[in-house]
Amino acid sequence: MKRVLVACGNGIATSTVVATKIREKCEENGVAVTVNQCKLLEVESKADDYDLLVTTGKFTGGTVTIPVITAISLLTGIGEEATLDQIVEELKK
Amino acid sequence: MQIFYNIFNVILDAGATVMLPIIITIVGLIFGVKLGKAFRSGLMLGIGFAGINLVINMMKSSIGPAAQAMVENFGIHLDILDVGWGSIAAVTWASPIIALLIFAILATNIIMLVLKITDTLDVDIWNYHHMAIVGILVYYVTKNVFLGVSASIVMAVVSFKLSDWTAPLVEDFFGIPGVSLPTMSALSSVIIAAPLNWILDRIPGVNKLDFSVKDAKKYLGIFGEPMMLGLIFGCVIGALARYSVAEILTLGVNMATVMVLIPKMTSLFMEGLMPISDAAKKFCQEKFKGRNLLIGLDAAIVVGNPDVITTSLIVIPLTILMAAILPGNRVLPFADLAVVTFRVALPVAMTKGNLFKNIIIGLFCTAAILLAGTATSPILTALATEVGLDLGSNMITSFAGPSLTVSYLIYTAFTGNLLISVPVMLLAIGAIWFFMARKGRQSMAKA
Repeated sequence: MKRVLVACGNGIATSTVVATKIREKCEENGVAVTVNQCKLLEVESKADDYDLLVTTGKFTGGTVTIPVITAISLLTGIGEEATLDQIVEELKK
Repeated sequence: MQIFYNIFNVILDAGATVMLPIIITIVGLIFGVKLGKAFRSGLMLGIGFAGINLVINMMKSSIGPAAQAMVENFGIHLDILDVGWGSIAAVTWASPIIALLIFAILATNIIMLVLKITDTLDVDIWNYHHMAIVGILVYYVTKNVFLGVSASIVMAVVSFKLSDWTAPLVEDFFGIPGVSLPTMSALSSVIIAAPLNWILDRIPGVNKLDFSVKDAKKYLGIFGEPMMLGLIFGCVIGALARYSVAEILTLGVNMATVMVLIPKMTSLFMEGLMPISDAAKKFCQEKFKGRNLLIGLDAAIVVGNPDVITTSLIVIPLTILMAAILPGNRVLPFADLAVVTFRVALPVAMTKGNLFKNIIIGLFCTAAILLAGTATSPILTALATEVGLDLGSNMITSFAGPSLTVSYLIYTAFTGNLLISVPVMLLAIGAIWFFMARKGRQSMAKA
């Protein structure tokens, strides 16, 4: 079971959109995941427990040791599939 | 006829948790969402509302008496509870006229796009609540649906134009092209920040000031973590209420609970609205295919910037101190301290990360929010009670809704002496629009 942390400004709005899309995509591809959401400000204290960090905007405010994917395309709809594939790829490693 | 009237009354009497599923199902069906999915969306919103009600109940019963005791002990008169933007959004979505407002706002966006007077395609239906709440409050005060819808339309026009004008900031400072942020919680600060930044740049000496704070996160990081903020906040209020040690600690944990649970409940709302938002997005993107549009997104995408975070971590504790001494303020800032990042994001971009100016501007913005929050609390509390939030005798507000400077001004214009206030408002908007159009697209970035 892979663990994904989705972070956005308030841990509510855009992260819910992204988290839902990741869950659906992983289910289609048979990847077992738990997806949790948080605020960007909390990322550093939480990231250690996860395999992948997905942010909805640019995350430049700190350092984490896990892979980070920026998923703004899941909000704009432009390049959405490519980003989802990249996430699945990362989780299959 | 009588039977319809009876059914309608039963639903109205049952309150928001029953009305929300019905209204949202209908909105979903209109957008072409399948019945089963639309109903699940609606039910999820009803659940979200019930959940928020539970958390607010916990909040008012634990911090309400403590805030009262604090008033008696020290004369710190902060008796209006900040229940957070999510709670106010819940009240907004539970209003009987919400469906009408959603379509009015969407129609405003489409018409402006067709007339080419905006480039922002805003299908972030969720954030329509910032525009809708003003219309709902105006309707609640005036009992006039036309005025309510008009107020939301004005909010929409102002939101889309401010988004257009700030898009260069989003591109240049935050490095995200092709996107604008029609989220009033972030945009509202601009009308304070733009003139204030202009003034600060022209005061000799002051315009040279800047400093940087190393390790702001190391020492102030706890102000960015809702649960730690809630715990400390609860304990301090408990101490000021002269509670026993056990009571102080209990209040701390309770407040931490509220801070963590409110966003969880609010995300149920977001989840419920997603199918409808998606349907609206598909519909609009097909309509305007081929045109170079700015896609309107939630301001959440820019608040991860390190300058925004540093500014917020400093502004949050200063705002709490300011609340105690700001003349006329009665708001006890709490739940929305977690989203100060949104309020300072665009000012930070405007000053290009000058921390000195950011803190000054940030404090002006939060001060304006506290004062507008105090002024609009009675009417907001009455509205929230009517749609079914159980508040007891407590007054509520947030850092969103009518507390936002732009929203407050438009709300005031629509509930004042209409013959004077509405023309003044339209003139002001027109003048700013004219000024911005003359300065050209890059003006915000340079100003």
